[in-house]
Amino acid sequence: MRSLRRPPRVMSTKRGSGLRSEFGRTLDDTKRGFPFPAGLGQRLICLLSFAAAWMPFAHAEENLVAAPPELNHCAVCHGVELRGNPLVDAPNLSVLPPWYAQRQLESYQDGWRAPAGSPDLAGREMQPMAAALDADGIRAATAYVASVPKYAPPPSVQGDAARGEGLYRTCIACHGERGQGNESLSSPPLAGQSDWYLVRQLENYRSGARGGVPGDLWGIQMRASTAVLQSDADVRDVVAYINSMSATP
Amino acid sequence: MNNPVSRRQFLSRVGAVGGSAAVYQAAIGLGLAPAASLAAPRARLDALTGGQRRSVVILGAGISGLACAYELERAGYDCTIIEASHRIGGRVLTIRAGDLVDEMGNQQICGFDDHPSLYFNAGPARIPAHHRLMHHYCKTLGVPLEVFVNENYHAWVQEPNAFGGKPVRMREFMADARGFMTELIAKSPNRAEFEATFSAADAERLFEFLRSYGDLDAKGRYRGSGRAGYASGGWLEASTLKTPLDFKQLLNAKFWREAMHWGELSDQAAPMMQVVGGSDNLIKSFAAQIKSSILTQAPVQAINLAEDGVTVIYNQRGENKAIRADYCLNNIPAHLLAGIHNNFPAPYFAALGLVDWGKLMKIGLQMSKRFWEDEGIYGGISWTGQEIEQIWYPSHGYNGAKGVVLGAYIFEEETTEAFARLTPAERLQRAIEQGAAIHPKYASYVENGVSVPWNRMNHMMGCGSFGTDEDRKRWFKTLQGPAGRHYLMGDQISYHPGWQEGALSSAHFVLAQLNERAKTEAGGHA
Repeated sequence: MRSLRRPPRVMSTKRGSGLRSEFGRTLDDTKRGFPFPAGLGQRLICLLSFAAAWMPFAHAEENLVAAPPELNHCAVCHGVELRGNPLVDAPNLSVLPPWYAQRQLESYQDGWRAPAGSPDLAGREMQPMAAALDADGIRAATAYVASVPKYAPPPSVQGDAARGEGLYRTCIACHGERGQGNESLSSPPLAGQSDWYLVRQLENYRSGARGGVPGDLWGIQMRASTAVLQSDADVRDVVAYINSMSATP
Repeated sequence: MNNPVSRRQFLSRVGAVGGSAAVYQAAIGLGLAPAASLAAPRARLDALTGGQRRSVVILGAGISGLACAYELERAGYDCTIIEASHRIGGRVLTIRAGDLVDEMGNQQICGFDDHPSLYFNAGPARIPAHHRLMHHYCKTLGVPLEVFVNENYHAWVQEPNAFGGKPVRMREFMADARGFMTELIAKSPNRAEFEATFSAADAERLFEFLRSYGDLDAKGRYRGSGRAGYASGGWLEASTLKTPLDFKQLLNAKFWREAMHWGELSDQAAPMMQVVGGSDNLIKSFAAQIKSSILTQAPVQAINLAEDGVTVIYNQRGENKAIRADYCLNNIPAHLLAGIHNNFPAPYFAALGLVDWGKLMKIGLQMSKRFWEDEGIYGGISWTGQEIEQIWYPSHGYNGAKGVVLGAYIFEEETTEAFARLTPAERLQRAIEQGAAIHPKYASYVENGVSVPWNRMNHMMGCGSFGTDEDRKRWFKTLQGPAGRHYLMGDQISYHPGWQEGALSSAHFVLAQLNERAKTEAGGHA
């Protein structure tokens, strides 16, 4: 099942802004463990014994980005600072450049993404949210996305990154060697995106659930490009490789 | 989940963590203890003494959060409640005229007439007798109750796969089903076996039992029963029995799989109770009798656990504010906590991610006429084999002009999701079409309606977490325990999800732990 236990890693990108790790936890922190209570009796005994077990916590009210009141609901699913929450199928938005965030909101409005009857069920959940925005709303949402610090969630997809590197060669032309994206080609960054979300979108392209609507030229192009991914294993491997790009400077 | 084995397992588990007193209290909670002991368990919370000051920040103004504030402030604790939504009560949601249904992407305003009996409970609606904390708080806070008709043999069973989709009265279904079954046993070629197992007198009594249970004739044959209702006749003329239903058709129905015994499930009953005027009147009474501040529209941004306290950052009108307290009690849904910055210990955080969230949907329809009362139905539930699952007739406002019917209570997850993907207008249309299979002129009575898909409700994105016992074995103990000075609450840590009693029990469970801790800490400081 879904597990959030995996240790996050400290990350940075070429562009230098730096991806924050989750709570500054490291593998060692999680290994050190926590005296975990099995029952009330035991619990009461250990109450006094967990001094110094706490992870460092970097957040203070002054360095946390607050959602604008009219966009509070974005953070309900996408999480505080829009880091994503796999438990409600919400991807990490913090790594999205504003132009891409805007275009996706418009894509939902235009029926390119998850129109009525689409098998992209998670997309169908987002669709009414995007549809409810007017031009000012899209501007505000895009500005909110741009305002949050970039963050890379801990990896959750297992795959053969070495094999994925070979598959990724097809992707380089548009998404860049480091998965950094390319605005002039309308290609979003991939590094730092929730890996489970990358898997799902690649599956959507492969099945035609995304990139199948006339007019959605980028989607159609992306759908054609996924022909290189012949199996579920291919998808996992290429995503594992994208994860490895996120994790190394 | 509802079988006695899992209840036994539950009790033995409670015994392991809380000793025999806890088992006894839990047994009372489950309605297993003798009737004379059905007193409400009091919160085990001592007043702070000797000038001791203790602060508690409570996340979420759901019923467990409100109950904790109510108890804690009476024991001298300083409490602050922080709520993300525009309203308090969490899933205790009663919908009336003009109310906002805060669904993600589909906000609706309820168009019911402004009338005290025109409402429906989109969340918890019925209270069984053995939910002692619910009764305790309703009584203590002066919240009046009335009977909720949970089982009405005069309501309908209607299924596409049985009786050509034609509705039959529940009583007819049940009488005929029992008649057929008992006749089969009475005629069984293995009757000799019964007689070998029992004495002749016992075998005779068994035969009488079968006759009585199935309303069989003296020869053990089922020829119809007055229990099913009569085909003709009246008060002043002899009645004729109905011809029994076709047994194969009965077997085609899914009604007998669970619904036929619904009122016998552990948290159900035939008559239950409901809060007069709507479930949220209990919430309003809590709020009126709590002095602690309740901040609404203040979503939590971060929870920072430290050795000597908890700092919570929340967003109020676009600005972050911080509050520090000695303890944090949290009834935010576990699956949304993953989106809040925190420094929970890794195993605790992982366990939060394993809570499975339910997807249920209710649809309320305002009817211009209480047509079901003309069909002899006063409260209760009709069961359909269609997507809407059930139709609830209101247990209040009898013989009034209008009524609000629960036009759908969908608890099949995929159906809920499919309905949630429709527009609110499409959902109503579908619910009305399906309701018309039971009540032919249904559509002509519908004036307006609202739908509440809990998996799409703002600040919720799900309801009662119906994990398997196997899942719970893996993560329950972790989540029921504290993470430092942070305690998770709500029905999400109860074996009875979706019940207010589960949430209140979690509140009392947490208060008892806090009590021990405050005493220990007071001792330590002395």
